[in-house]
Amino acid sequence: MTDNQNAAATCLDETRFDVMVIGAGIAGAESALKLGDMGYKVLLVEKEPSIGGKMILLSKVFPTLDCAACITTPKVSETARHPNITIHTLTEVETIHRNGDRHFSVQLKKKPRYVVEKDCTGCQECEAVCPVITKDQFQFNLTARKAVYIPFNIANPRIALIDIDNCMLCGACEKACPSGCIDFTQKEQQLQITAKSIIVATGFKLFDPISIERYGYGRYKNVITSMQMERELAPTRPFNNVLRPSDGKIPDKIAYVFCTGSRDHTVGNPICSQVCCMYSTKQAQLLMGALPMADISLYYINIRAFGKGYNEFYLQAKDMGANYVKGKIGKITEKENGNLILRFEDIATGKVTEREHDLVVLSVGLLANPAIVKAFKDEKLELDAINYVQQPNMLQSPAQTSIEGVFVAGTATGPMDIPDTIMSAGAAATETSSYLTRLS
Amino acid sequence: MEKKERTIDIIKQERKVSAEVLEERKIYSRNRKAIMEVLKEGPKTIPQVAAETKLSLPDTTYFMMVLFKFGDIVVESLDDMDEYYFYELKKK
Repeated sequence: MTDNQNAAATCLDETRFDVMVIGAGIAGAESALKLGDMGYKVLLVEKEPSIGGKMILLSKVFPTLDCAACITTPKVSETARHPNITIHTLTEVETIHRNGDRHFSVQLKKKPRYVVEKDCTGCQECEAVCPVITKDQFQFNLTARKAVYIPFNIANPRIALIDIDNCMLCGACEKACPSGCIDFTQKEQQLQITAKSIIVATGFKLFDPISIERYGYGRYKNVITSMQMERELAPTRPFNNVLRPSDGKIPDKIAYVFCTGSRDHTVGNPICSQVCCMYSTKQAQLLMGALPMADISLYYINIRAFGKGYNEFYLQAKDMGANYVKGKIGKITEKENGNLILRFEDIATGKVTEREHDLVVLSVGLLANPAIVKAFKDEKLELDAINYVQQPNMLQSPAQTSIEGVFVAGTATGPMDIPDTIMSAGAAATETSSYLTRLS
Repeated sequence: MEKKERTIDIIKQERKVSAEVLEERKIYSRNRKAIMEVLKEGPKTIPQVAAETKLSLPDTTYFMMVLFKFGDIVVESLDDMDEYYFYELKKK
């Protein structure tokens, strides 16, 4: 038995929890922290190699322009070190059965990391010698990573893992590792646990604009998504500055296309994503800081600046020089030099107009992430009409779901911004605590 | 210290490396070598490197950004038009 298997066997003894939180994004981490602080024993399950979800990858947050990592990393660190919280990364929930009135039996599948977690120091010596490069999904494919890698600089746990499907099996990493923690004998593990209650914090999926052919995403190199721009603006960015992916040019004229894949029946997502107007406005402000000579145009249907300080934030962007144009883009075409022609109806003049930009950012919407439903075997976790987790008692008890003892937090219920996500996670923790008190 | 058994030899008995992974590795090595060779002459912009290596512009951008990420090349300065950065080999 390897060290890692020994460690796992020790973990196997820890099979009884008060709460299992599914998803370790900012909602899951917040719920886990609140419940851990109340003294409950919490299991946090995350399918990715790092906790922190999508927020840990953001550049800054609106409307305060605080550094996202500066908010997320202390919370993530606190979660990781909390004595009442056990974390399983690279782990998926396979099945959930109700076991009598008081418990859920849960089967988990833990993928191998091929690195002994407790021995890895995060020194990246393995990464330096790895000869393979493959697309870096944490930089949204703007650059590459090695087959053995630490997902991103502020990943937690900051432990390497091996992408075995892209590994050349050369063994260079194992040879170079100073602590000898590479272990290719690791296998997938099935873990069985019980929990008295469950919080679903599985978050959202980003809309993939490849399905809107007229925007040319995937075909035109200089059409990127808002998440790719987010990475270009982040301190841990893939390039040395904001650059066009086609030729490394510093862009002069940047366009944002709002409501890409939201408020659009034709792509099956009729609802407003709530955050796209504001994150685009935030990026416009950051771009005006990074590239003072650049013109930023934002093409919109309506501006939805509903939150505290949001309208002022939008007005601030306008005052800084952001050019808001009311009109939805009909089509994007590419010129030989990589520039892009945007065709749209300018609502102010009523005329169909064309404008040239050298970089286009698609402000993509948010989609439901309903895969967890399949794990519930005895009872059905009801979804609403657009596949978010149904809240049967939304006004009085927003964290309740159709299953007693199962609660929901954050964007698993619908699109929302970070302050609302934190509040929703707090509500889920409170309702879970109340349920556990009644149970005992 | 006791010599540890290399676990890579064990997994090699169970898994084979896919042809795509080997091909991608070849492409990376070839392009890396070509770019590094061109940059030996001095700092160059991405379009200049693309013109000399005959790689497409997007491929040149991608591979140069990979070399930048892994510390093989560094940013030198901006060109006169403030459009493109010059990149040079990292002095080791």
